[in-house]
Amino acid sequence: MDHDDTFDLDTRLAQLRAGMAQRDAPRCVEKELMQAFARQFVRQEPWYWRLGWREWSATAACVLVSIAVLGLLSLPPRLEGALPDAYPLVRIDNGAAFIALDSVERIEAEPAPRLVETEVSGTILAALGLPLTPENAGGAVRAEMLVGAGGEPLALRLTSID
Amino acid sequence: MTITPTTSDEALLRKMRGGDAQAFAALYRRHQGPVYRFALLRCGSEDTAADTVQEAFMGLLTGRFAFDPLRGSLPNFLFGVARLLILKHEEPRRREAPLPEADEDEAALPVDEACPLSRVLADEAAEEVRRALARLAPHYRDAVILYEMHGLSYLEIAAICGIDIGTVRSRLARGRAALAMALRAHAPAAT
Repeated sequence: MDHDDTFDLDTRLAQLRAGMAQRDAPRCVEKELMQAFARQFVRQEPWYWRLGWREWSATAACVLVSIAVLGLLSLPPRLEGALPDAYPLVRIDNGAAFIALDSVERIEAEPAPRLVETEVSGTILAALGLPLTPENAGGAVRAEMLVGAGGEPLALRLTSID
Repeated sequence: MTITPTTSDEALLRKMRGGDAQAFAALYRRHQGPVYRFALLRCGSEDTAADTVQEAFMGLLTGRFAFDPLRGSLPNFLFGVARLLILKHEEPRRREAPLPEADEDEAALPVDEACPLSRVLADEAAEEVRRALARLAPHYRDAVILYEMHGLSYLEIAAICGIDIGTVRSRLARGRAALAMALRAHAPAAT
């Protein structure tokens, strides 16, 4: 291989490189490969990857409704006529009833409360959540009302609601 | 992570295996040109070269051809796969051809040209070199194409072709000499 041959061959190879530089695989090859890619990864995807946002939204709504229903069903049943101990509005003890008309903090903070004798109708007591009997529902009950210094009612005490 | 021209092949492969179609498209667009040009010069047929590129990338996608980054770069791996696919394609004709002398200048297998006058390149001078290259023996053609057209080192060519560096050197020297002789023989007579 003499020098002239080498020089000529390098020039000719450079011509071939230039002639080949823009040669690429046909576009259809990429298209077919991308289709094969899509087929391959559709097969490999778990079913939940194929769900759209609508399916996910419906699933989430179903789950939330189910949780709400289960929560409601799991609550303890409220007994008819029973008054919750934690609720300070009405407390019945040995037939005597104490009805808070304002918050406990407000009653305790009152500097000069007064007791006033009064009568309360059965209708009002029923509205306050006291259990009534058919005999005393239409009448009035004697009560003591705790009144603040400004005259605002703070609480009622019924000696007997029977 | 977004895909940029500087994203490494390994990162694109990881994303591709995770189902990222953009990563696969980026890998394909980055490497299809050199692999196609190698296959085209190696086998002489545009259809076979396109099939080779498609099969090489399909093998990468399906895992049929397992790429190991520790054993070399992805382009060299794809050259190796393309070379093996072309050898497989040529196998029926190689079985019919007479046995060559070991590593000597045996007659080249005819390339995949449907017609002797079929053209691959528009440029006359480049097409003449391509035809002379196509007449080289396949093992010389591998070395000449990978070294002269793709700028690979002896070491890389040795890894792709599964031969030692000394053989690469000798095949390249003989291939270049045979190519120069073929081109000189077809050159118009000097005045």
